[in-house]
Amino acid sequence: MALTGFKRLVGRHTEIGILLIAALLIAYFSASSDGRWANAYNIGTILQVTATLGLMTLGVALVIGTGEIDISVGSTFGMGALVYLWLALRVDPTLAVLAALAVGALIGAFNGLVITRTGTPSLIVTLGTLMIFRGLAIALTDGFSFSIPYASRGKFTYWLFGGGDIMGINTAIIWLVLALVILMLVLGATRFGNRLLAVGGSAASAHSRGVRVDRVKLAAFIICGMLASFGGALEAGKLGFADGSMGRLMELQAIASCVLGGCLLAGGQVSLVGALTGVFVLSSIQSYLVVMGVRPQWFMLLLGVIVVGAALGDRVLRQWAIRR
Amino acid sequence: MASTTTPLIQVKNLHLYFGAFHALKDVSVDFRAGELIGLVGDNGAGKTTLIRVLCGIHTPSSGEVWFDGRKVEKFHPKLAIDEGIETIQQSVGLCDNLSIARNFYLGREPVKRILGIPILDFALMREKSTKVIREFGLRDNVSADDEVERLSGGERQSVKIGRAVEFKNRVVIMDEPTNHLSVREREHVNELAVSLKEQGLLVIYITHDIFQVHKLADRIVIMENGEKIEDASTHTMSAEALEEVIRQGGRKVTKKEPV
Repeated sequence: MALTGFKRLVGRHTEIGILLIAALLIAYFSASSDGRWANAYNIGTILQVTATLGLMTLGVALVIGTGEIDISVGSTFGMGALVYLWLALRVDPTLAVLAALAVGALIGAFNGLVITRTGTPSLIVTLGTLMIFRGLAIALTDGFSFSIPYASRGKFTYWLFGGGDIMGINTAIIWLVLALVILMLVLGATRFGNRLLAVGGSAASAHSRGVRVDRVKLAAFIICGMLASFGGALEAGKLGFADGSMGRLMELQAIASCVLGGCLLAGGQVSLVGALTGVFVLSSIQSYLVVMGVRPQWFMLLLGVIVVGAALGDRVLRQWAIRR
Repeated sequence: MASTTTPLIQVKNLHLYFGAFHALKDVSVDFRAGELIGLVGDNGAGKTTLIRVLCGIHTPSSGEVWFDGRKVEKFHPKLAIDEGIETIQQSVGLCDNLSIARNFYLGREPVKRILGIPILDFALMREKSTKVIREFGLRDNVSADDEVERLSGGERQSVKIGRAVEFKNRVVIMDEPTNHLSVREREHVNELAVSLKEQGLLVIYITHDIFQVHKLADRIVIMENGEKIEDASTHTMSAEALEEVIRQGGRKVTKKEPV
């Protein structure tokens, strides 16, 4: 029967819920916005936001997959943006991106080392680094912003790292798709992926089979830091400026996207496609509120209400699916 | 005859503390290749803790472990597995969220290179683990791609035992291997333990059931309260006599007295 088949599909693939929610929202937003939401320009904007938040979210999904959490990514994103923009003025954007990646990797390594060496909960450690690097970003910019003059934005490499469009869509989307493909392969078909999911499922069992649990977690934090920082660099490339507040509260959106997308907060279950669909849903809601002229003061509240609603809907669907 | 060869595993004056708790107290014991050892004792006697040192999960607080004539300097399950020590743990060993095939090869996943990238060899993983789970009598509708969480207690145990036997190398440690098993499956596991020993492996068999293991083992080691209290050949001590030792909790005065 078609219904039982669908039930099994929902039971096996945790991302079905968010895909359905995305489809419903797209239909509703398109129908109710008189073309203001569903047009090429607006969709392009949504995809650009999806790309930078999405890169961060992919990294967070890996860390959540190991059973840990990284809430410092918003600040890492900000650091990536500042490092990129400061250097892009002085050297080739490619080098600036590499430097941003290195900074992200260092922040991730710091988080990962403190967590695995001392056994301090990741929530506390990354809460600390969230504040440290936000503070550093604010101190570095000293209330001003870094910006790059229009004249210096002509280079191909500047275009490539978020500084331009391809068929109306920001080039950041290329990097998101690339990262998604690589990480899906890594997670599903490599030793590292198998061990990462094993660590999230049962760290004690993975350890007893000879998996170096600490190294797996450390690697996840480093990748997470790099992706968040890279997202920040692409965002800075798109805007042409960066200030100390870039990436603020994005960590919460990234975690919400992971959970909406079917990643288990306890670890061991990761859906990268689901998490990115979660990002798309969040960016779509935000953009809908903008084009519908909702006063910005209400954004947070409405976004929160819709997130809770979506999470409830997803839960109801999953419970229905596992009931026999 | 076995006693003339150098022990494969030598434990010397081992102590282990968990915080203030003294879990292992001055344990010294030898294990030889080709022996089947019954490691017996009550709950909390330290049996599992001792073998968790041998398989690298716990690092001793003091004392030495020698493996094959070399002193063990670093303790990690990876190193133990590389040395050829396979362990069937009681409470850990399987990740519920992964498939049987992925669990089977966890930590030593086979790969093939595609364009130079090492990709898991799913065909091999599936084929080998399917063969083993069929041998160990899992339900016919269970496939190697099913997550372990779908298995019953007995099936989970069977997967762990099948895996240890498949990768058998030099030492197989079985911690309560017949828990959750039916009478017929229990028989099968006991036969396996004996056959591994006959192939020249060292088998350490942990159980509560002295009568069961007495029939299989060459030697019985009894632990109580973190200490070794008896180490005797099954030829010189009957199961009844050994049971009395456990009952007395190692109060050596009463044990030695002729009844």
